[in-house]
Amino acid sequence: MIGFTTPYLWYSSRATGAVSLCLLTLVMVLGPLVSTRVGGRRIGRFAINELHRSLSMVAMLFVAIHVTATVIDTYVPIGILSAFVPFTSPYRRLPVAIGTVAIDLMIAVWLTSYFKEKLRPDLWRAIHWLSYGSFVAALVHGYLTGTDAHTRWYLMLTVGCGAAGMAAIVWRITARPERAGGRTALSPLDAPSPARRKS
Amino acid sequence: MAIRKRGASFRLVVDPVRCDGYGHCHELAPELVTLDEWGYPIITANAFPGNDRELMRSAQLAVRGCPRMALVIERISAQ
Amino acid sequence: MSLHRVLTGAPRSAPATYAEHVAQFGELPRTIDITKELLASGLTGHGGAAFPTGKKVELLKNQRHGVQFVVVNAMEGEPASMKDRVLLSTNPHLVIDGAVALANTLDADQVIICVPRDRPKLAAIVQRAIDERPSRARRDARIELQTPPGRYVAGEESALVHWLNDKETLPQYRPTRPAILTIGRSATLVDNAETCAHVALIARYGAPWFRQVGTANRPGTAVVTVSGAVKPAVTEVPYGTPIIDIAKKCGVTTPPQAFLLAGFGGVWIDGAEAHRGFDDDSLRPIKATTGAGIVVALPLNACGIRETARIVRWMAGESARQCGPCAFGLPALADDLELLASGRRAEQTLSRLQSRASVIEGRGACRHPDGVVRLVRSALEVFAADVVRHANGNPCVHAQSTVVHVPATQREEELEWQ
Repeated sequence: MIGFTTPYLWYSSRATGAVSLCLLTLVMVLGPLVSTRVGGRRIGRFAINELHRSLSMVAMLFVAIHVTATVIDTYVPIGILSAFVPFTSPYRRLPVAIGTVAIDLMIAVWLTSYFKEKLRPDLWRAIHWLSYGSFVAALVHGYLTGTDAHTRWYLMLTVGCGAAGMAAIVWRITARPERAGGRTALSPLDAPSPARRKS
Repeated sequence: MAIRKRGASFRLVVDPVRCDGYGHCHELAPELVTLDEWGYPIITANAFPGNDRELMRSAQLAVRGCPRMALVIERISAQ
Repeated sequence: MSLHRVLTGAPRSAPATYAEHVAQFGELPRTIDITKELLASGLTGHGGAAFPTGKKVELLKNQRHGVQFVVVNAMEGEPASMKDRVLLSTNPHLVIDGAVALANTLDADQVIICVPRDRPKLAAIVQRAIDERPSRARRDARIELQTPPGRYVAGEESALVHWLNDKETLPQYRPTRPAILTIGRSATLVDNAETCAHVALIARYGAPWFRQVGTANRPGTAVVTVSGAVKPAVTEVPYGTPIIDIAKKCGVTTPPQAFLLAGFGGVWIDGAEAHRGFDDDSLRPIKATTGAGIVVALPLNACGIRETARIVRWMAGESARQCGPCAFGLPALADDLELLASGRRAEQTLSRLQSRASVIEGRGACRHPDGVVRLVRSALEVFAADVVRHANGNPCVHAQSTVVHVPATQREEELEWQ
């Protein structure tokens, strides 16, 4: 086995891990904003949807870099298998496994969204719900695995992302979507009057 | 990708069961779709020519942007 | 004028047993293929759409993979209709004979009779009739009873077939019509119960006999439910019989101010048009149809606007709620009609009603909202004088409170968000 390691790989792994977490949190917040039909006046609803879709691609990219950097680095014995099969890592078995679960769920969500037209809508929807699980797993993975986990900035990041994610879930459950009528970005209509809002 | 034959016209068709009134189609293709008072799409244009690039682009954006995949572009006639 | 064909033997205290049925009509002839007879007879469907039965059978015969199912639609979701119930409670074997004849013609191996599950007595009658049938030859179709939930839209043929497939009574989005209905992958023939009864008689007596009564374009008889000004009654009359005569036959004495034809999804016609014959050709000029044989008479001392408001409110509750324009539009129409009926703030109500009707029309997956829009437009036309009075703040205060039988709304559900 050729050994290859440099501190920069390790820094990249940790950095992209943290960035991934932030991006994923953003994606997790935007999702419920789409389904609760937020927007339409200053920001188009289509824009929030597009942002949700695009950011998820960027997040996947950073996750891919995070995994690649970790796997290439021989300083810790995490192989490519551990990236996809949980509990196969000799180093920090459980925390890495949780990260692996996060990735697996993410891949499922990503694949089904990529092939959305070819799938039954209810199947796509059911798998999309797994994204919540993926987010929680990523959060926990970051806290348990990360070398920086006990630094103050990372702690605050975890709490911040966790709170945002929690708020998104609560919003998803409680928000009553407003009618689209009269509130889109390009609509010539005014904001609805109180009487109209009721219908 | 719609094939633009000379003289072919197209229209946007909404599957009313899948549609859930998100309204993205109106935002992305306001020339083709307006919304009724409850937020559901009214396809205003009965047909648009296939070689009108702007309208076709709007229609394609609307189809791609719909969160419920409720829109399709249908070819009406070809000469 | 009273002519009993499918209702021969009525009124009965109990449904005709198989023995009584054979004594009355003879056994169903063993002829296999009655397509030509059906085409020659000019029989059209009695479920409301009036599609020529012979043509339907012919269309299905040409299906590559054959037809496996014949469905007898006895769902009768229209509250103003009782004919299928009465027919099945009188001559159930005639209906079954018709279905068997259709199955033999199409080489189908199963007949499914659909009765709503909230009518257990009717289901019991049908089951007993099925059990009474003589043991079948191996070639004959199996007959079975199914009981879907009795919602209004469940009687629509695509919704019915959807239920048989997936146990869900939701109408399907069928952009291209006519689509061949399928159960699983097998083509399916769906026919109204009364249509099947007529088929059974044509199989016995032939097309020329069938055409002896009725009109040239609509031969034969129809079983009609009359209600409103009188207690609901069912009678069988030849097509073309003047509407006022049908009403009088069922006990209507004073000429009504208006009639509701074809049920809650039909149209109002002015009482002055009652001389017209009950057939689509004479009704077409006033934009009405015979529908599923429904005539509701509105007496002089009733308010057409109020009755329409009640009907639309109920129809709104019967929406499958799959499509926004119907789920939100129909309750809005009901709101406007109730406002109009009450006589409060009515100038904008009328124009809002008309524009909403135009916006809702044609934007659902099924014809449910279109039927309501049609009804509303016909009400605004037929009761135009009332509309003007109401709009000026003079509602019909002395009108009878309710005339048309509208069932209680079963459940008020909030629209659910996913």
